[in-house]
Amino acid sequence: MNRRFYLKSAAIAGIGMAVNPSGVLGKAISTRNQSFKKDFVSIGFIGVGNRGRGLLNLILKEKGVRVPAICDVNPDAIIKAQQGLRDNGQKNADTYIKDEYSWKKLLERKDIDGVVIATTWDWLVPIALGAMLAQKYVGLEVPAALTLEDCWELVDTHEKTGTNMMFLENCCYDRECMAVLQMVREGLFGKPSHATCGYRHSSYGSPGWLDSNIDLTNKPTKKNHEFSLLKNADQYPTHGVGPVANWLDINCGNRFLYLTSTSTTANTIPDYVQNHPKGGPEHPNAKRNWKQGDIITTVVKTYRGETVMINYDNFLPRPYSRDYSLQGTNTVWSGLYLKRGIYVHDKSSSHQWETGEKYDKYMKEYDHPLWKNFLKQHKIYDMAESILYDESIL
Amino acid sequence: MLQNRRKFLQNIALGSLGLSVSPDIFADKKNNLLSRNFSKESNQTFNMCGYQAPKIDKVRVAFIGVGSRGTSNLRQMTYLEGVEIKSICDINPEAIDRVQKLLVKQFLPKAKIYTGSEESWKKACEDPNIDLISIAVPRGPLHAAISIYAMEHGKHVAVEVPAIFTIEEAWNLVETSERTRRHCMMMENCCYDFFELLTLNMARQGFFGEIVHGDAAYIHSSGQKGLVSGKERIWSLTEKQRYNGNLYPTHGLGPICQAMNVNRGDKLTYMVSMSSADFMRGNAVHEMAEKDPYYKKFDSATYCGNMNTSIIRTEKGRTIMLQYDVTSPRVYSRIHMLSGTKGACLKYPLPARISIDERWLNDTEMDEIKEKFTQASVKRIGEMARKVGGHGGMDFLMTWRLIDCLRNGLPMDQDVYDAALWSVIWPLSEWSVANKSKPIDIPDFTRGAWKTNEPVDVSLSKGGNTVIRERLL
Repeated sequence: MNRRFYLKSAAIAGIGMAVNPSGVLGKAISTRNQSFKKDFVSIGFIGVGNRGRGLLNLILKEKGVRVPAICDVNPDAIIKAQQGLRDNGQKNADTYIKDEYSWKKLLERKDIDGVVIATTWDWLVPIALGAMLAQKYVGLEVPAALTLEDCWELVDTHEKTGTNMMFLENCCYDRECMAVLQMVREGLFGKPSHATCGYRHSSYGSPGWLDSNIDLTNKPTKKNHEFSLLKNADQYPTHGVGPVANWLDINCGNRFLYLTSTSTTANTIPDYVQNHPKGGPEHPNAKRNWKQGDIITTVVKTYRGETVMINYDNFLPRPYSRDYSLQGTNTVWSGLYLKRGIYVHDKSSSHQWETGEKYDKYMKEYDHPLWKNFLKQHKIYDMAESILYDESIL
Repeated sequence: MLQNRRKFLQNIALGSLGLSVSPDIFADKKNNLLSRNFSKESNQTFNMCGYQAPKIDKVRVAFIGVGSRGTSNLRQMTYLEGVEIKSICDINPEAIDRVQKLLVKQFLPKAKIYTGSEESWKKACEDPNIDLISIAVPRGPLHAAISIYAMEHGKHVAVEVPAIFTIEEAWNLVETSERTRRHCMMMENCCYDFFELLTLNMARQGFFGEIVHGDAAYIHSSGQKGLVSGKERIWSLTEKQRYNGNLYPTHGLGPICQAMNVNRGDKLTYMVSMSSADFMRGNAVHEMAEKDPYYKKFDSATYCGNMNTSIIRTEKGRTIMLQYDVTSPRVYSRIHMLSGTKGACLKYPLPARISIDERWLNDTEMDEIKEKFTQASVKRIGEMARKVGGHGGMDFLMTWRLIDCLRNGLPMDQDVYDAALWSVIWPLSEWSVANKSKPIDIPDFTRGAWKTNEPVDVSLSKGGNTVIRERLL
């Protein structure tokens, strides 16, 4: 309790310092302070599918959280979520299940402080905007905005309502990524010059590829593979970009300036369908115009002159990877998926990665305070994020 | 019939060339790098891809430039029967002396010497008793100038990387090779490294399925001291002061292009390029200039960015990511990643790995792969190559194959089109970097012949009879 109180005061003091008295931010702070005095927070869950329930179960581990309302159009998901609540010693929540707009009813409740939004992609931004306008704190799942307009809407609405919105980019809380952030802050890297990241997560042969009933008309809720018919882009950048943006002080002294993006052809899905026993050349998906290229490679230039390479590789059969690496004038680090290794100028032997125990020593030495002091008990970063989100409300 | 097909292809090529020229290139005033000969509106006068030159039983070689790289190339040849090292050319007497001693040590006669003037190499090229000129002079316009002069004088050429530095040089090299019907092989030794040959063979046999993407790089830290070149290597500093782009593309790109059959079934179509800022070299030069006035002229300048990242797209829709970084303190890497519809490989960071589905293979499975897919030349002479050495043996595999092809009248694994294409990435990347990473078209040096050119022979189905002087090992 004391610790939390301390954090609260620190947070308030910190915010006080950051206030721009005449600006929009000033207004934001005044509304933000209203809920600081509560003993517990009430959080509504919008979208309790796999991901939503995952977050729900984590957030319930934190004392001082109540979840009085859940919303989903899928009755199965609701049943499972209620079970999760009971398993964690809470009562069944009120449910909002009537139609795809039931979340609006949930947002009308006065007793809800914040919402966690973990719906399908199309719904993320509309609900987040609604929640901010209803003066609720928002925890918003990735990838959040799908268009430039959505990005600006989120920013404008946040500034207009002064409601805090946290983007639930869990990979930012990856322990090694945070240790690297600590290394950057303590100067081990010298000046960062280049970073890589990405999202290589094979969906090769996922059931949707053979789904012959794809209907993109009049359907507000699209499945992931259906987006592959609509556009060719890096459709899932944030898991990679999040930690990199932290290392490079993006939006805090630095910013992304411009990018170039190159795609391969989009052959993998139609080829798969064509050659599959349940597919064949006459299968509708073999004839569709799949737009999404197999691999998208994007390079971004920053204001300070660093470059960032981002991969998106969602179709090809490959081991999972987020391709993290960071290079600076003094150190280079290569993360889990490429090879756990670090090379520090004047410390490491020439052209030799430090691996194994030597690598672990670096990770331990630079373990981020969040992990080191605050989360000793917990092993997974979803937990960290869930609790951090809580703290920001309390 | 063949003539007709070629004519037909030429017409197609001409038609498409007109369309493929981007107006941006010519509108760009501040950067006249590409002002001439970007996309050549000429016909292919003769196809050097797949060209079988008359057999040469004993290949008589002249070496131009016998610094450390040239000497190493020459040492490789001393292990081969069917080669005569006839002459050497260098302006540095110490280098010449060193080579002569090496020849004696290898029980070979001393070579004829060309030295004394900056143009002595011309004399070496003019010698009628030479079949092959091997070039390892410092990077710059001499690579193309000597290659062209040598071909004009009836010699085959093996030239160090990169073969050319401007687009105009690239076209001159290609046209000279076609006109004289002399091979111009760029000594891209990384194409002959063991894992690269293994994966090329696997690619050929369909292990990776359809190859979709490749990562390549030249990441080779010169160390903190190497940031400011010594006076004897000042060309290296001048180069980085003057140019910003992907300044050493061929080591990474060569093996990836071979795996994708570029110039032989696919072609590089366009590219984009981005450089980070220089965070290191400028500072290091500035510090040096305070101590030594010689470096004053190198101060004040901006330098090539620490890291260049270029993305190339092929006509068949593949992509290649190519990086260049010789400043940052990094562990050496050429990446060499191939990603296909069935599997993938990743060489760096070592150890090299191969994956099927969503899983990296374990050691036992890797051994099985090596057992099954080791390429024919490696099977034949791999062990000897390791003993001779030279970047772990790849230099010897390359040299043996070069001589064996010349002796048996076989086409080059790496012909003039590859030399021009892999090297031209430098000037093209420079343009893209200078123009905010805009895309730029890549010239098709084969002028349409890529559609029908045969892939490189990896099976060693012909030749392979060049004998190694094993008693020297």
